[in-house]
Amino acid sequence: MKRETQQAPTPRRAQLTLEELRQVQWILGGLLILLSGWTVFYLDVNAWILMGLTTIAVGAGLVRPDWPARVPRLVHSLAFPVIVVFFVSDFWLKGEVLPAIVRLDILLLLYRGICYRQRRDDLQVIVLGLFLIVVAGVLTVSPAFAVQIVAFTGCALALLLVITLADGVAMKPAAEAKKGLKGLITWRAPDRERPAWAESLVITRLLRRCWAVADGRVVALAAGLFAGVVMVSALLFLAIPRFQLDNSLFLERFIAKKARTGFNDSIKFGEVSEILQDTSVALSVDVSDPKVVPASPYWRMLVLDEYQDGGFRLSPALSRGAFGPERKEAMVLGEARPRMGAPVDWTFYLEPGVSRYLPLLGRFQELRFRETQTFRPSAELGVVALRAESATMTAYRVQGMEFSEVLPDEGFAERWRRRTESGAISGRAEGTLQRRLNLAASDLAVLAQVREEIARAFVGGSAAPTAAEFGRAASGWLRKQHGYSLTPTIPRGTGDALVRWLNSKEPGHCEMFAGSLVLLAREAGFAARVVVGFKGGSWNGYSDNFTVRNSDAHAWAEMWDEVRGAWWRVDPLALGLTGATSGTAGGVSGEAAIAAQVDRSWTARLDSLRVFWYRRIVNFDASSQVETLQAVKTATETTGLRLRETLEQALAALKAWLVGPWDFRRAAGVLGSLGLGAILFGAVMAVRRLGFNFRWGQATRKIDPVRREAGRWLERLPQAGDNVAAGAELAAVRADLERLRYGAASTWREPEAIFRRAREAVRVRARRPITRS
Amino acid sequence: MTAVEGAEVSVAVETGWAGPGAKATRKPFRWSRLVWALVWPQGGERIVPTMSGVMLIAVCFGVGTAAYNSSSNILFITLSLLLACLILSGVVSWLNLSRVAWRLDVAPPLRAGQAADLGLSVRNGKRILPTYGLWFEWSARPIAAAATGAKAESTVTGRGIEVRAILKKAEAETLRGQVALRARLDPAGEDRLDWSFVPARRGRMRVELAGVGSLFPFGFLKKYVGSELRAEVVVWPAVIDYRPWALVGARRAGGEQPRARAGGGSDLLALRRYAAGDSHRLIHWKASARTQQLLVRQFTTESSQGFDLWVRTDAALWPRAEQFEVFVRFAATLAEDLFRVGQLQTIALDGELPVRVRHGRDLAGWLNRLAVVEYKPVAAKLDTVVSSAEVSSSGRNVLTFAPEGELGVVAWINGQRAASI
Repeated sequence: MKRETQQAPTPRRAQLTLEELRQVQWILGGLLILLSGWTVFYLDVNAWILMGLTTIAVGAGLVRPDWPARVPRLVHSLAFPVIVVFFVSDFWLKGEVLPAIVRLDILLLLYRGICYRQRRDDLQVIVLGLFLIVVAGVLTVSPAFAVQIVAFTGCALALLLVITLADGVAMKPAAEAKKGLKGLITWRAPDRERPAWAESLVITRLLRRCWAVADGRVVALAAGLFAGVVMVSALLFLAIPRFQLDNSLFLERFIAKKARTGFNDSIKFGEVSEILQDTSVALSVDVSDPKVVPASPYWRMLVLDEYQDGGFRLSPALSRGAFGPERKEAMVLGEARPRMGAPVDWTFYLEPGVSRYLPLLGRFQELRFRETQTFRPSAELGVVALRAESATMTAYRVQGMEFSEVLPDEGFAERWRRRTESGAISGRAEGTLQRRLNLAASDLAVLAQVREEIARAFVGGSAAPTAAEFGRAASGWLRKQHGYSLTPTIPRGTGDALVRWLNSKEPGHCEMFAGSLVLLAREAGFAARVVVGFKGGSWNGYSDNFTVRNSDAHAWAEMWDEVRGAWWRVDPLALGLTGATSGTAGGVSGEAAIAAQVDRSWTARLDSLRVFWYRRIVNFDASSQVETLQAVKTATETTGLRLRETLEQALAALKAWLVGPWDFRRAAGVLGSLGLGAILFGAVMAVRRLGFNFRWGQATRKIDPVRREAGRWLERLPQAGDNVAAGAELAAVRADLERLRYGAASTWREPEAIFRRAREAVRVRARRPITRS
Repeated sequence: MTAVEGAEVSVAVETGWAGPGAKATRKPFRWSRLVWALVWPQGGERIVPTMSGVMLIAVCFGVGTAAYNSSSNILFITLSLLLACLILSGVVSWLNLSRVAWRLDVAPPLRAGQAADLGLSVRNGKRILPTYGLWFEWSARPIAAAATGAKAESTVTGRGIEVRAILKKAEAETLRGQVALRARLDPAGEDRLDWSFVPARRGRMRVELAGVGSLFPFGFLKKYVGSELRAEVVVWPAVIDYRPWALVGARRAGGEQPRARAGGGSDLLALRRYAAGDSHRLIHWKASARTQQLLVRQFTTESSQGFDLWVRTDAALWPRAEQFEVFVRFAATLAEDLFRVGQLQTIALDGELPVRVRHGRDLAGWLNRLAVVEYKPVAAKLDTVVSSAEVSSSGRNVLTFAPEGELGVVAWINGQRAASI
């Protein structure tokens, strides 16, 4: 009886019809196609037209689901051969496997987006979309992958859920299961008939229906479960055992990528300046000891020694002589000498599309890649060149890196000394001395005139200034002569463009300053070269790392300092410094330097997510796994200790409170608190007894108090059966109570009177037969 | 197990709740038990990956291989997400079936050749979560009487037994069906599903809920919960058309006119809608509450005069099996017709003493027994054989049956043809 009274008829909540489920299925499938197609935004594959078409077609299908029925039959008939021909010709013409596959994938998604999809079509959409997203993620290692894969997973799970529900309503699960793999992968012409649900789909109305049928608790639970999926996957990611097989990523072989930034072997004037317009992150650097961070670091990437046709380039001679043979390893040993104390680790995250030359501060002890790379190191130039530019983010850790303003080069010192001793050297050897000027006589004359002017004005007429003296003097002269501008104007005329600019008063950018300095130095007999890379950066206050943007691209000069036997950095644009050179920004480094460059903007906040992604996810390996486990162990132990201390303190406080002196006021307070608690408890129980339901999100189930009371008396009546006179009167009371409990309210007759009779029947205990009131 | 009808023939029905939510005494909660239940299927449960599940597993393998080969954490993330989705699928599937119970609602009688509805009550005992997408697989197969007493013989010892043929024959006789829970089963809600099938022939039949399946939530895994819910039901003989002869006259001679079924007897006949003037005592409150309309009880009337039906099944009388089947159908049809008009006084089977038919259950019990009567080529020895002379001299309207021709059957009453086929 009790169970029956509790399970009083409850109104069934509304639920989505089969048509509405199909509409939701259509919308979710469309969203999946759009989500997958949008990988083109961060995947460097030329598929913008296809992506645009897909977005328009699928978007139109979502808004007007009846239009796929208007697609001519010819399109469906020709779809399969056209797609095959498209893929074959795409691959044949461009010769790139992966981009062709990506475009084929998007094309298939586009076709599925303009057809009415069955269950297996939706499964195909999921598989195709997953492939696209994973390929994009693997190739770019972009943080956008994390957002996209989570959104895709949520959408895909929702779609699969809706498919299961809809097939359950349509009684099709067993039939679909029998089709097997063949049914899933075979090409099938889509349904051309417009389904009934497509005629009545109005997104706003459907959303309202979904809102109406949704149960808050179930939705919250579903959200919790999805969050659980993300957490479980995170735990699995941490727990999956890793083995370092030292294999490189296979997908990279199938896609070619070119540097966006212009840091190539050959740089035309203006190319580096173009990079300055780009404020995207080029490089993120983690430093194990921020105290050593220089205030204005110079991230050298590429050395350009040959000036020809208005541009600097890395000469073949230097390329052959300075770079070692190509190696395929995960580690490079440098020539920096170990120093006292623990070596500082610099972890670099170089964004794709920057360059195949790795940014470095100088020489290093050890450089370790995250995965095996094919590269050529050059200890002389202090650079490392990958064989090809990575299509993905390149992570490498450098230990014991030097970042002074000089770069020792024993090999060059030997060659330079030999030049002095022999007096005359061969043309080939001269090419490696980085002092050749391939200029016309008129240009050389202009350079000589400028050099004399510099000597007069800045070096005091010294006939043989040192490299340092000349560098400072030339930098000062250039700064005095020219202003800084990203849109320089080169005077018209004959001769070399850079010489014309040098001899003018026009403003210029870093490449012109550095190039002019190199020309002047070479004219004065010094070995000099242009170095390109990045200068400075900002210190992210959230993730505590150095962030270097493309807009930090810079070019400077290096002059051979015979006294030091090293290449000496000369930056003509380093303003406010003593002399013309810059070392470590006036010697400021460490925390002071960081404090001067700390960035706490919203951009920095976003960048910190990127760094977190690189640090914790992309760069996660077996050693990180061990570190994580140790951190978890430490945190657990610490938490346990703290909890124990807190409990002990609480117990001690309670004990002290109990053994304290008790007076009337204190006792009254305790008793009053207990009494108040009892009253509150009683009030809650009374309210519950009256039928209020506090459970959140549940439809309030109001049971009529009369029915509840009748049910209560029906339960009690049998207990009084032995003592109350059995027979017709008792049956009559029970019948009346049953009418109150189950019958329509219109048939009730004075409930109070019936309850009185029931009460009397229980109390009298057979002393006298109950009587009707 | 409750006996619907006693004596020699009973209808056995597992009326209790079964399924994950049917356990009366719940075991105390333990995390280890929960984790183990998630990892290892419980008794009677089977989890089979569907085609999409197989694809997911294959994708997992592929991504995992690529991840280890390339040490790409992007692939490891993908692998983790795919595995987490599989885990989620298992958890949600477990939640979906959790605290769900089902119960057979078999409403005899079943009759050969007529559609029969088997009911299944499904209950969701969860407080928050609804249950979706269950389907129930039924089977119904006849039970051979000889098989119950036969000694079990294994395929090793059973020489000459065509096991496949036997299994094929058994499968051919088995009716299978599937009904699905198409609507959502709300928390603390209950629903009823019906399976319609047509029994081919009379006799005992075992109706079984073979299992409960679900593809919920994502269709990766097909979860199948075996069920031990079964019921042995008796299928009454099919109705057969006959030609009445003296039966009409005898009815008139008996002075009994057909009367309405409802009356003042003690057996509940049916419920009908409340009409003005009905006693309130007759209102069936529970049924009224369920149907949201006032219903009153109707009782059967009792008849006092009519015919005595005597059915003899000895093989000496019925040399042909086909004719015997016709005879059984004829006897059952005749008995029901006479009872319906209130003219069936007693019924007797072979040498047993006649049973007075006062209530519907008397007839039902007799039909139950008639339904399982088997044709025995060897003549049965009757302890008490009532001769036709005794029958005719008793002064009562005793209906007996005799073969006529190769397939015909005649019902005799006091030496006259009462009805025939």
